Amino acid sequence: MGTKLGNWLDERVAWRQVWEAIFLRQIPKVNWLYTLGSASLFLAVNQIVTGILLTIYYVPTPDHAYDSVQYITTQVNMGWLIRGLHHWGASAMVIVVGLHMLRVIFYGAYKFPREVTWFTGVLLLLIVIAFGFTGYLLPWDQKAYWATTVGTSIAGTPPLIGDAVLRIVRGGEELSAITLARFFGVHVWVLPIALLILVGAHLYLVIRIGISAIPKREE
Amino acid sequence: MEEETKTSRRSFLSLATWAIGGLISAGMAIPAIAYAIGPALKRTETEEWIRLGSASKVELDTPTLFKVKIVRQTGWIANEEELSFYVLTDNGRDYVAMSNICTHLGCRVRWIANQEQFFCPCHNAAFSKDGSVVAGPPPRPLDRYQVKVEDEQLFVLGG
Repeated sequence: MGTKLGNWLDERVAWRQVWEAIFLRQIPKVNWLYTLGSASLFLAVNQIVTGILLTIYYVPTPDHAYDSVQYITTQVNMGWLIRGLHHWGASAMVIVVGLHMLRVIFYGAYKFPREVTWFTGVLLLLIVIAFGFTGYLLPWDQKAYWATTVGTSIAGTPPLIGDAVLRIVRGGEELSAITLARFFGVHVWVLPIALLILVGAHLYLVIRIGISAIPKREE
Repeated sequence: MEEETKTSRRSFLSLATWAIGGLISAGMAIPAIAYAIGPALKRTETEEWIRLGSASKVELDTPTLFKVKIVRQTGWIANEEELSFYVLTDNGRDYVAMSNICTHLGCRVRWIANQEQFFCPCHNAAFSKDGSVVAGPPPRPLDRYQVKVEDEQLFVLGG
């Protein structure tokens, strides 16, 4: 039954070709460090699923943000688990993505013909950091508030443009409801869309070009 | 022979991958469902005795309106709500407490003293003094609440 349906569909959409290109492609003999990219992808999926679930209850306004987070953590079934997965997944994401980058550097995997894969990877790293920065404010507790006060102050340090950048990031002079709302908007709309597009490009290139072998010692 | 070991290793790994993937997916999906539908299953409507006020305020044979403010917790928000009850007594000892919500579509009824009737402005329904339907579309009499009197104070059981 399954095979029959699979054949029926394959005749029309040729999914087997896609399946083989993605999952049954030839790869060189590699080690476990080459799984860091897949681990990043897995964590990204975890962040997307748990993040979507959190938005069911979370409200990004100063008078409700903290209470809604407390509600999720203490009242909703499995809320502590969903929030915990999102919280710890975020830290794990930064670490794993960083290790993934180190592996690519040490094995020289960024070299021709994989420069564009590397560029998209660099942008993805920046996006992950931006996710961490914007997400940190959302619980709207003391730690979030002061960490973002300090973090955004750094944006104000460059000469000439610093003050304007600071005002744009905060949506005014001080951290306020406007800051919280725009950090939420960036965290759940801008960054996820950028992430999905770049992950798509990154994976396409990994599959299209193939992964690099472990460099050999010169004889 | 060697061919056979290769395929069995391959199919074992494939099966193991699917099994682990399935476990992780289920581990995510089951809490996700519990999380999403949780508050819908929770019955927070615990009934409690609400104090209306002094029983001496109720006039004999005239439905008297009592308004009370209660705090209702919805999610993370505590809302103050005003509830209204009509209390009726014909002997000063036994009390009947009625809701002021029309049983038709939930509009608020009010007592019209000179007609001796409750009137609902939405569809011209009328209820008699004891809450039974006199005219209009309501399917049943006004809802009643359990009443008790303690230290000359009226309480109704509601939520």
